[in-house]
Amino acid sequence: MSWYRRLWDHRLGRVGVLMLGFSLLVALAAPLLAPTDPYASVRVSIDDIYAPPDGARLLGTDDAGKDVLSSLIYGARVSLLVGFSAAAIALLIGGTVGLVAGYRGGRLGNGLMRITDFFLVVPDLALQIVIVAIIGQSLRNIILVIGALGWTTTARLVRSQTLTIRERKFVERARAVGAGDLTILMRHVLPQVLPLMLANTVLVISLAILSESTLAFIGLGDPTKISWGQMLNFAFSRGAVSAGAWWALIPPGLAIVWVVLGTTLVGNALEDMFNPRVGRHHLEPERHLRTRTDSPRPSAPDIALAIRHLVVTFEGDHGPLTAVEDVSFEVAKGESVGLVGESGCGKTTTMLAALRLLPPGGAIPSGEVEFDGLDLATLPEDRLRQARWTRLAMVFQGAMNALNPVRSVGDQIGEAIRTHFPERTKAEAMRRARELLELVGIGADRATEFPHQFSGGMRQRAMIALALACDPEVIVADEPTTALDVMIQAQVMDLLVDIRQQLGMAMVLITHDLAVVAESCDRVVVMYGGRVAEQGTVEEVYSHPAHPYTRLLLEAIPDMEQPGRSLISIPGSPPRLDELPPGCRFAPRCPEAMARCHRETPPMTVLGRRREASCFLLEEPARV
Amino acid sequence: MSRSRLLAKKIGWALVTVMVVLTFNFFLFRVLPGDPAKAGVKDPRLSAEAVEAARVRFGLDKPVLINLDEGPWYDSQYFRYVGSMAAGDLGESYAFKNRTVGELVGKALVNTVWLVLPAQLIAIAAGVALGLVAAWKRGTKLDVGALTFGLVTWSLPTFFLGILLLFFGSRWFGFPTAGRVTIGAEYTSIWDQIGDIVHHLFLPTLTFALVLLGEYLLIMRSSVVEVFSEDYILTAKAKGLSPGAIVRRHGFRNAMLPIVTLIALNLGFTVSGAIQVETVYSWPGLGKLTVDAVSTRDFPVLQGAFLLLAISVIGANLIAELVYLRLDPRVTEV
Amino acid sequence: MSEPVVNLTDVTRTFARSRSILDSVLRRQVAQVTAVDGISLEVHPGEVLALVGESGCGKTTTANLVMGLLPPTRGVVEVEGTDLASLDREELRQSRRRIQMVFQDPYESLNPRMTVQDIVSEPLRVHAATRDRGHERERVVEALEYSGLRPAERYLGMRPHELSGGMRQRVVIAAALVLEPAVLIADEPVSMLDVSIRAEVLNLLARLAHEKSIAVLMITHDLSTVAAYADRVAVMYLGRVVEMGPTLDVLRAPRHPYTRALLSVVPVPHPSRRRERIILTGETPDPSRIPTGCRFHPRCPVVEDRCLTNDPGLVTVGEHHQAACLLLNPA
Repeated sequence: MSWYRRLWDHRLGRVGVLMLGFSLLVALAAPLLAPTDPYASVRVSIDDIYAPPDGARLLGTDDAGKDVLSSLIYGARVSLLVGFSAAAIALLIGGTVGLVAGYRGGRLGNGLMRITDFFLVVPDLALQIVIVAIIGQSLRNIILVIGALGWTTTARLVRSQTLTIRERKFVERARAVGAGDLTILMRHVLPQVLPLMLANTVLVISLAILSESTLAFIGLGDPTKISWGQMLNFAFSRGAVSAGAWWALIPPGLAIVWVVLGTTLVGNALEDMFNPRVGRHHLEPERHLRTRTDSPRPSAPDIALAIRHLVVTFEGDHGPLTAVEDVSFEVAKGESVGLVGESGCGKTTTMLAALRLLPPGGAIPSGEVEFDGLDLATLPEDRLRQARWTRLAMVFQGAMNALNPVRSVGDQIGEAIRTHFPERTKAEAMRRARELLELVGIGADRATEFPHQFSGGMRQRAMIALALACDPEVIVADEPTTALDVMIQAQVMDLLVDIRQQLGMAMVLITHDLAVVAESCDRVVVMYGGRVAEQGTVEEVYSHPAHPYTRLLLEAIPDMEQPGRSLISIPGSPPRLDELPPGCRFAPRCPEAMARCHRETPPMTVLGRRREASCFLLEEPARV
Repeated sequence: MSRSRLLAKKIGWALVTVMVVLTFNFFLFRVLPGDPAKAGVKDPRLSAEAVEAARVRFGLDKPVLINLDEGPWYDSQYFRYVGSMAAGDLGESYAFKNRTVGELVGKALVNTVWLVLPAQLIAIAAGVALGLVAAWKRGTKLDVGALTFGLVTWSLPTFFLGILLLFFGSRWFGFPTAGRVTIGAEYTSIWDQIGDIVHHLFLPTLTFALVLLGEYLLIMRSSVVEVFSEDYILTAKAKGLSPGAIVRRHGFRNAMLPIVTLIALNLGFTVSGAIQVETVYSWPGLGKLTVDAVSTRDFPVLQGAFLLLAISVIGANLIAELVYLRLDPRVTEV
Repeated sequence: MSEPVVNLTDVTRTFARSRSILDSVLRRQVAQVTAVDGISLEVHPGEVLALVGESGCGKTTTANLVMGLLPPTRGVVEVEGTDLASLDREELRQSRRRIQMVFQDPYESLNPRMTVQDIVSEPLRVHAATRDRGHERERVVEALEYSGLRPAERYLGMRPHELSGGMRQRVVIAAALVLEPAVLIADEPVSMLDVSIRAEVLNLLARLAHEKSIAVLMITHDLSTVAAYADRVAVMYLGRVVEMGPTLDVLRAPRHPYTRALLSVVPVPHPSRRRERIILTGETPDPSRIPTGCRFHPRCPVVEDRCLTNDPGLVTVGEHHQAACLLLNPA
């Protein structure tokens, strides 16, 4: 959709467009709309000065006896003219400086940025005043000064955007193809920079209008031209306040507010469109919490965690989207379960739901997460907090920002301890944190360091140490090795296995890597399209896969011990949440799909103790 | 780069900026049409000798940049200017006979600080608090209200808000309309005088605080929303911390970091706001002095006021950068 | 074996932190990072050579050197017999016709505002390789269909966001082969794709090599992929090639301790096989602080005294199979 249509669809953007449009119309049609010509000189009597509003003069008269409404209408011309012209100059200078500084970089770029920084530090109104005072108060000069001093924010923005674009892979690829600098600038960089420049220009216009009105009010405007600021200057310095002539003071000010507000709304809407910022955050209050009065059915004594018929939905543009549907599996004490699947299968969502850490808009409309007689899916917030970390802890991917960058690693581990064991002192907690860091192979002395001082592998180990802080019964590791080199991966997986053996914890390993699961897990749950396709022990599933998806997946992944074996790929791609197939989720890609598979969702077929798969083919008597 | 190196580099750049401002200031007024000496003298009927005497007095007989005639190379207008600036001698006012620029500017600065400091403190405290709450309760009526408030104060020119408050404040609440003290008032005690000043200070401070508050609120809100959506907040939540604890120990400090920079960048706006507020309320501060100097063409005062304003902003900016350096352990590049 | 299309002879590439004014004034030495340290490689037409190693080993720098995006600090980079360093800027730009690259990220490699047709025809236009629009479209359709996007007409008007990851990567490959290059460098071509669709892209790359006699240099960290697709493999560590040879030979009989360790820890999807794993301690050192002697010695499980002082070169251990380890020569 083109940007102007999107702007119109944006609620506040539309309001802004209308406001701005109205002002432009008034400015253009001034001679038709204004009752009198404020530039014409008329003879006035003393009664005409600061006369209050009446039938003929809807907004009364000003200090010179002229009709305020007419001046207001004509004032739009000057204010808007200055605003747009000055912004054009600022855009030209700022855009060029920004593009050059961003694209060329190096000494030239740095030099240009130093100049920009200089202008940013020097107070702009003061500078404008000084320069206008020297070169004279004509409209042309004012436009020049505002424009010549207003380019800095545009330059900064364009430069940073150009820098970002320059680093993007498609620009690198264009260069690798052999495109020259000019081609790259014109075809690849500029089209990406222009939208943000547009949003910025609109904001610059509003600033320019504000600048003009301020300068005029102070007395540095062009006295021969009527602008709203000029009107305020005359009214204020010529006794409107003491005369009580609010009609000479308020309308021009409101006119300024109207135009600036309209422009700002449009600018914000454009920025929203081109550079959507994060809207929601993790601390929003939970909105869709279900409650229950009964307790969940207790599971067998050797089971640590039981997920039963879990359903997770998200708020979509056109109604709720189902991310996880009817997922059930159990994790026995001390057991390790691999939760395996590709993008969109819901494996991470399932475990986030278990800890009630879903992003805002997520909900658990049905199903239960049974842990020690409690249903974590419906537990009140304060009791859930007690259960978090002490019973069930999560090892997040050790990305740069998974830990607070401005606090030391040891501090953050200690925090977990003191949250759940407030009787421990800070020193005790720190001691334990150091022990844990030693346990995971980082070394106790690094407890005072900050996350950015750790390498990727170290950060992942730190996340493991953190997860162990309150001796949980189950740890959930979310793709712990995805971003790591294979040797570090082996070290981390080895560590996890070691720790589990030492401390007897159960583990849920979320990953897309079937090979890692084969090596480190006892059981595996294969997910596809938000449902469980198949589960069982790793031996059962890998040697006799019951679900076509599992079978094909095993044939698609390379195996180092069978080099040269040709690999298949499954045509199509995993379904998107807003485009889920009506029947079996895998039917569109399944080579053995029957007509029924496209219409109905297959139930779980039990194939043995804790062994099941959901496929209609399994119901056929001929199949094993 | 080590942090002490970084420190030195930042201070260095601040000094360079000051020098550039000084040089700019110097050349700006040499660009004036007409003879500066005559401008300083004001009375066009004066004899040629008097003009010549004024020329020597103001040092306008020396070469502009570098002295290539007799005498040391640094005996030029520029270096004399730099020298006197460094010594604190800002020259003499054209408009106020027998008053030095330094004296005028110094007094005005004190008055401006009286206005700006309380307003900034109120605005920062309220803006930070409201921005935090608005972000936290994102999407609720409180948030919408805060956003609207911020948007409206952003679109309102500072001087217009001043006019409105002045108009209604003086008519409905009897606040004074101009000046620092009531003219011709007699005070029985020092407290009386302070009370009078505060009475005069109320509306200007309120105006200033409201304008700044709106901006700080918006900035704080967006910073907090960004921080609250970071991964480490999710980690903290998973650890079982209460929302209050998360906000205190993780959210707040991280959200403050960009605030410090933004407040620093905003100092230019503070000056512009001060100029406008002082003009509306005739508060005898540095802003009003600047504006008056323009209308009386009192160039030494204009130069001096501008210089002082620029240096204050550069200095405050530097302090903010150093504070940021202290707060964020990640910074390694300038 | 035929003449190599790509030939690196003793190539070294160092990076220095840029000098600031202060550095020049104080005459300070700037820290050097040797990303690639004296490597020799050949890639022959019609073969897939996998360049394998962990982060910091220099494989990406090597790819950039072969592309001509960086000049070597020492040594010679030859493509089709021409020393890339001898070309001027314009000649180098034209050399891109013969050397093309496929990047890792299919979501970022394509300009979101361009259509598939624009993207695949861009290389033709940049190098003025076609007579007219008709000819250009022919070549674009041919490239797309070879890459498996059939019928090509359906895809021409689409934009990247309408395509899945696998399809995008195929568009990138189509854009790379539309100029009929002699060399194709694939930098982690499938690591960001879903597992079930990786094979289609890898199969395509293998076909390109075997059917069109293109020399494919595949950079990857995934040894399993190497096993399935590469004809030859070169293992890199801290800027050096430590082992190189036909894939089957290196996999079955690795001679360098690092290769052995790497191969032993690669997970295989067979639960019943518990292998003897050699897990190295610590992490790969920073390339700015390369250990003396054999650069692998601090982590080597079979290190001997002489390894701390002698830097091993490549020795032949089999047919076309080389490894750089002192233990291969009796003391």
